Amino acid sequence: MKRATLVVGLMVVGISLMLWAGWHNLRERRMAMQKAEENHVVLVPDKGGAAGAASSDGEDRPKLRGKLAPGFTLVTLDGKKVSLSDYKGRAVLVNFWATWCAPCKIEMPWFEQLRTQYAGQGFEILGVVDDSDAGKDVITKVTQKTGVTYPILLSDSKVGAAYGGLDYLPMSFYVDKDGVVVEETAGLGSKDEIEANIKKTIAAGGSGAGKSTAGGL
Amino acid sequence: MRRFGLALAAWVTGAGVLLAQQVGDFNAPAKAKGYVVYAAEQQAVAAGKPGMLELRFQVVDGFHVNSHTPKSELLIATQVTLQPAEGVKAGALVYPAGTAYSFSFDPKDKLDVYSGAFTVKVPVVATAGAHTVDGSLRYQACDHAACYPPKTLPVQLVFMAK
Repeated sequence: MKRATLVVGLMVVGISLMLWAGWHNLRERRMAMQKAEENHVVLVPDKGGAAGAASSDGEDRPKLRGKLAPGFTLVTLDGKKVSLSDYKGRAVLVNFWATWCAPCKIEMPWFEQLRTQYAGQGFEILGVVDDSDAGKDVITKVTQKTGVTYPILLSDSKVGAAYGGLDYLPMSFYVDKDGVVVEETAGLGSKDEIEANIKKTIAAGGSGAGKSTAGGL
Repeated sequence: MRRFGLALAAWVTGAGVLLAQQVGDFNAPAKAKGYVVYAAEQQAVAAGKPGMLELRFQVVDGFHVNSHTPKSELLIATQVTLQPAEGVKAGALVYPAGTAYSFSFDPKDKLDVYSGAFTVKVPVVATAGAHTVDGSLRYQACDHAACYPPKTLPVQLVFMAK
């Protein structure tokens, strides 16, 4: 009986040691993991946003639809100053894009084609390049590749904020003859959707109410 | 004696369950904090010999980033830059191949992207001891219709050379 008790006792001690070693090892691994996890790299858009940002109804940015378009005066690639107010009385699509934005470059040739198609109805497009620091050569390369001939303006620090922060691109604002934003879209839509918005913008406004764009135009 | 055996069996069973709970908890997936997560882990290499470390990233569903070799020079490549660290000699980083991706309205234009999990390998030769190598990840992400501005975020390699 004594011998049996001794054997069982040794077994208990042995198994206890094994379990303790396993638990200790786990704890060490967990601590190492916690330390390493402090180095997590997280890629997050500045203001949340779930997958599929292609919505004109974003809750995390100001909605400009139905409001006067913020005014701006920006410089073109060749140094010419252009203001939104220069286009008062005309339907204007203000499109924000960047050289690194692949979907932006998909819709730019559509814009060019639609601009030609609706130019007779006073329609114009202003492309505002958000990454002006990319350099004029790179920007020109994109406009040449996409066949764009409408005015390309270099963004400044204010215009992006005035239009809601530009957390993602492309973003487009359809401004009617009275300077009111008829529609705003974020992300790549279809060419048909773009054309429908252009038609809607051309048809809107022209009330002669003498509205002016916001921002001191 | 029988009572001893029963007690022993109960103790071992209880301890086993406790241990299993610990293991299960450890392996629970970490809650994602953003759209790409750096799945860091403590790593080890042989001291004084060529070894390979890994930077494991996970792109959250619905998003992708350009690969290290995007098909257009105008796109921003995913790139890891490591700072020099004492006792660590890092070689040229090894990036995985990307996968083809196209936006729905332009299926012909194929991009080269990372989505899901991707790993950047770091060849190193290190002196014995614990090492930390600081660095950064530059990336530019998009979802199915829009793109987000490029960002540079810190990464850190923590490893032991034995």
